[in-house]
Amino acid sequence: MLKKSVALAAASLMMASVAGTTLAAGRDYISIVGSSTVYPFATTVAEQFGKTSRFKTPKIESTGSGGGMKLFCAGIGVKTPDVTNSSRRIKKSEYQKCQANGVTDIVEMKIGYDGIVVANSKKTAQLELSRKDLFLALAKDVPDPKGGEKLVANPYTTWKEVNPALPATPIEVLGPPPTSGTRDAFVELAMEGGCKQFPFIKAMKKKDKKAYKGICHTVREDGAYIEAGENDNLIVQKLEANPQALGIFGFSFLDQNSDKIQGSRVDGTNPTFEEIADGSYPVSRPLYFYVKKAHVGVIPGIAEYLAEFSNDRAWGEDGYLADKGLIPAPVEERRQFARAAKELTPLVMD
Amino acid sequence: MSLNPLLVATLILVSSAFWLGKKKALAVAGQAGSPRLHSRPGYYGMIVALWCAIPSLLIFAAWQSCADTILTNLVMGSISAAGEALDPAQLRLRVSDLHNLVSGKVFSTDIDPLMQKAAQRYQAMERLSTMAMGVTILAAAIISGALVYTRIRPAMRARNQVEKIVELGLILCSTIAVVTTLGIVLSVLFEALRFFQQVPLTDFLFGTRWSPQIALRADQAGSSGSFGAIPVLAGTLMISAIAMSVAVPIGLMAAIYLSEYAGRRTRAMVKPLMEILAGVPTVVYGFFAALIVAPLLRKAGVSLGLSVSSESALAAGLVMGVMIIPFVSSLSDDVINAVPQSLREGSYGLGATKSETITSVILPAALPGIVGSILLAASRAIGETMIVVMAAGLSANLTANPLQAVTTVTVQIVTLLVGDQEFDSPKTLAAFALGLLLFVITLCLNVVALYVVRKYREEYE
Amino acid sequence: MTRQNKSTMEMVQRGLARRHRREKIFRFLGMAAVTTSILFLLLLFGSIIANGWSAFRQAELSLEVSFDQELLDVDNLRDANYALLIKRSLREFFPQVEKRRDLRHLYKLVSSGAAFELQAMVMADPSLIGTRRLVTLPADDEVDMLLKGYIPRDVPESERRVSDQQIRWIDELVAASRLKLGWNTTFFTAGDSREPELSGIRGAVAGSLFTLLVTLLLSFPIGVAAAVYLEEFAPSNRWTDCIEVNINNLAAVPSIVFGLLGLAVFLNVLGMPRSAPLVGGLVLTLMTLPTIIIASRASLKSVPPSIREAALGIGASRMETISHHVLPLAMPGMLTGTIIGMAQALGETAPLLMIGMVAFIVDVPGGLTDPATVLPVQIYLWADSPERAFVERTSAAIMVLLTFLIMMNGTAVFLRKKFEQRW
Repeated sequence: MLKKSVALAAASLMMASVAGTTLAAGRDYISIVGSSTVYPFATTVAEQFGKTSRFKTPKIESTGSGGGMKLFCAGIGVKTPDVTNSSRRIKKSEYQKCQANGVTDIVEMKIGYDGIVVANSKKTAQLELSRKDLFLALAKDVPDPKGGEKLVANPYTTWKEVNPALPATPIEVLGPPPTSGTRDAFVELAMEGGCKQFPFIKAMKKKDKKAYKGICHTVREDGAYIEAGENDNLIVQKLEANPQALGIFGFSFLDQNSDKIQGSRVDGTNPTFEEIADGSYPVSRPLYFYVKKAHVGVIPGIAEYLAEFSNDRAWGEDGYLADKGLIPAPVEERRQFARAAKELTPLVMD
Repeated sequence: MSLNPLLVATLILVSSAFWLGKKKALAVAGQAGSPRLHSRPGYYGMIVALWCAIPSLLIFAAWQSCADTILTNLVMGSISAAGEALDPAQLRLRVSDLHNLVSGKVFSTDIDPLMQKAAQRYQAMERLSTMAMGVTILAAAIISGALVYTRIRPAMRARNQVEKIVELGLILCSTIAVVTTLGIVLSVLFEALRFFQQVPLTDFLFGTRWSPQIALRADQAGSSGSFGAIPVLAGTLMISAIAMSVAVPIGLMAAIYLSEYAGRRTRAMVKPLMEILAGVPTVVYGFFAALIVAPLLRKAGVSLGLSVSSESALAAGLVMGVMIIPFVSSLSDDVINAVPQSLREGSYGLGATKSETITSVILPAALPGIVGSILLAASRAIGETMIVVMAAGLSANLTANPLQAVTTVTVQIVTLLVGDQEFDSPKTLAAFALGLLLFVITLCLNVVALYVVRKYREEYE
Repeated sequence: MTRQNKSTMEMVQRGLARRHRREKIFRFLGMAAVTTSILFLLLLFGSIIANGWSAFRQAELSLEVSFDQELLDVDNLRDANYALLIKRSLREFFPQVEKRRDLRHLYKLVSSGAAFELQAMVMADPSLIGTRRLVTLPADDEVDMLLKGYIPRDVPESERRVSDQQIRWIDELVAASRLKLGWNTTFFTAGDSREPELSGIRGAVAGSLFTLLVTLLLSFPIGVAAAVYLEEFAPSNRWTDCIEVNINNLAAVPSIVFGLLGLAVFLNVLGMPRSAPLVGGLVLTLMTLPTIIIASRASLKSVPPSIREAALGIGASRMETISHHVLPLAMPGMLTGTIIGMAQALGETAPLLMIGMVAFIVDVPGGLTDPATVLPVQIYLWADSPERAFVERTSAAIMVLLTFLIMMNGTAVFLRKKFEQRW
């Protein structure tokens, strides 16, 4: 018994250490990290790239934008990723960190837009919301309904109280947690948009920007807004089970489940592919990825991957990414970034 | 993975060392007039084999850990002599490129000749280094093995030596736990300290509001007070308590039934089936809790006139309880089964019924093991994320009402770590602080548990 | 005296009924507990199988493809336009479709991977060029979903992803028995893909296999050795107390923290590759060790001291006593700990996130250092995909994982039975 286990332990130790001998080998595939929102699009391109080119299919990790940036900015070399996906633009502090770690030339690519929809089950009527309604329903502090320029803790419990035109169902919104880029974008585009419509709050913006943002960006925490994690399929299924609730998630999930759920109209526009693409639907945000210039030409296939991504076959109006729910950027913007991809123009931030 | 020739050579060497040692021991003992062997012949073989294997392993580990650095420095040195400063990371990139080049995969676009030369040099030296390592390892193994081999005498205390080495090995294995703890503390401590520079420790420990949303907007001002860990801890406690109140009674009763009442065949069937519960991926439980249990609870609550949130601690806790049943049932079943038969017979002999025997004789005898299994189950409950994220949400409410949404420490750690916020924001760092806090709390609880268990431990026979 | 005796007997008699009743209740409770757990298991299995069985069948199109010589240049088979072959064949079947827009919709009935299948076919056998034959190709996932009834036909056209026109075409194809559900081999032979109809589980299975192999080979011997030392050899002093508390505490450390540790130690300090099963296995080893050690210690504790004393009494050394007598008796409990620990390791995703195994990897890993992902990660990633066809594939992947688990447990249970005895 003992002999056997000693032998087993020795063998496994040996095996583990032998595996170590192959560590110094090179990397012949692109390593990509970053946002889970960009993940479905990046993987589609990567797969297409792997099948049509003579390069290996890139490896794409879903780490979240922040985690991706951290890995990306850790330095250059085979052990660091070549590309990071991000659902928001790189922050200045991150850019500086990158610079400090020797990642000096970064190429920025905007791949398109992601529409953020507010949806509910088809079992109930479609809602006609305005950004102001969304702000009043979801903000932590709202202007006193009795009038005056005073803020009170959000007193609304049903949609009817927010806007008499809406049904008298309780406010119950399933949405992403504060760590999510989707939430950040929703707060900035939808809630702040509604918040600005109050003149006294708008006036605050000039005087005290921090307080202004505090009012517009803080979501209520009394249970009406439910932080539901980022599994959007689960949110869709929960909406089906609970027709009174609304959910906030990316357009592609609405697109795939249009028989079960419907997107609410926001400021008179429908969350459809066309209306998000032409910019009339107000809640959509750009998606990015960043490339290490130092790795181009060293890790095989990076330039070709960029070319595949910035091809209209991929990110154009009829491209395969649009099929997956990505809202294409305007032609002019696409041309600009395609050029950046070709010439590897580094990003400058100061 | 191709078989490494070095590994094969070493293994052959070690096994032949065993065989040779054993043979020599027998030969030595067989000589006329020699005293009896101190140990059985196998031990002599083992000691030679061990002395063969250990030096080679040590050399291998040492070589692996420093070869790369030394090589890089050497190559860098020769290049900087040529008057060019280079980044080691860049060199490695080049080396990787070269590896691909050599294996004929893809051609690099632009090649800096100096870099190219450096990379080639590196590769040549690496090959040399691997070769040298192989030779050194084999030589060391042969020499140290041979040394011991020549010392084999009947009086050699081979068994004691082998046992000493094995015991050392056992000690090494048991210290891995301590090393791991150390590693965990070190890997969360620095980031946690950075967090405490931004958010005061007292606010974190005693704050009753957990709301990481404020901190993103205004980096410092107003962020204090929103990182209070109390609601998150309370949520963890509540969900774990609910889970344990499901798992402990069911698990313990199942264990008792299986080991004391059920027939051999039932037990052989049911026990592995129950163990599958522990292996069902937590995503499955998560969907189950969120889409079946939670709506059921909600309906039941509404019919009773209670307001039940669509995400509730109860739904998550109940389902988690099911998941950890096997932790209690299987491990307890094993220890109950191992209670000596004589105890049972003694108790029956005094006229006790089966259930009386179980509650007053067997359970106390098996108590240490049962407590261990319960602790293990509780640990798993504290560490679970998926079920909680899906069924209990992420809102940190400080509440004692299990029908409301709560969140747990682990869930917060995971969401903060995979979030989209920048990595040096206090939000991300809070994950490390939470990890450290949980670590400290469970450590204290375990210290207490250790003393409690020791006090009540009973030894039979 | 007699009076008292009688009353004692009476008391016993009277108590007996109560005691037997209690005994019955106790027994019933035990049975109820077992039944409840088994019911839960059946419920889970039932829901998984109900959702997932349909993924093992997959819509296939049989198309008559003519491998045209003009299109296929023997010297450059790689870059030929295989999609065009499929398009021509579809146009042949539906000659009435002429508008560009309609044609695009028609082409969408075939999976985007079909062209690559043709490519592989022709490259493997260039003699196909110039021939014309019936080829079975995967249909698009939406066609598949429609055939399986997951996309309702009775809702307005705007609310489903398959248009009325496409449904007509599909019905026509089905009527001509050119489109039918066949056994889904892709699911077992392919790696991950973003197209549900091309995605498979093989990469994740291989990844799990490699990862668990490392975990098992390291955690079982180390766990047992640590338990033996702590239970049998260690002097009881501060240091052993410290180790014991540490081990119990490690069991409660959230698994993602082990991921952080792995990132810091194995990747950053030791320089091991990201996303490798080797590192995953090491991290999972650290995670499962406490479980195995605790279970092993509990079962060592339950070996009666008389066994040790008997062995020591006839002159065995402590090491021999343990390895020849105590360990075999404690083995069932140790194996139980290992089963549960490995089951947990098999289902874990959180620690792998930090070391890069939550990733999109198409190629099936061939070794311990190739980038790989594992089954639960694959399940998690598919569960998060918008495409509806991934729902059934998620459940099917769970079924594969459970099969994996049952096989693993089966081996351990067999071993456990071999060792188990009562004394």
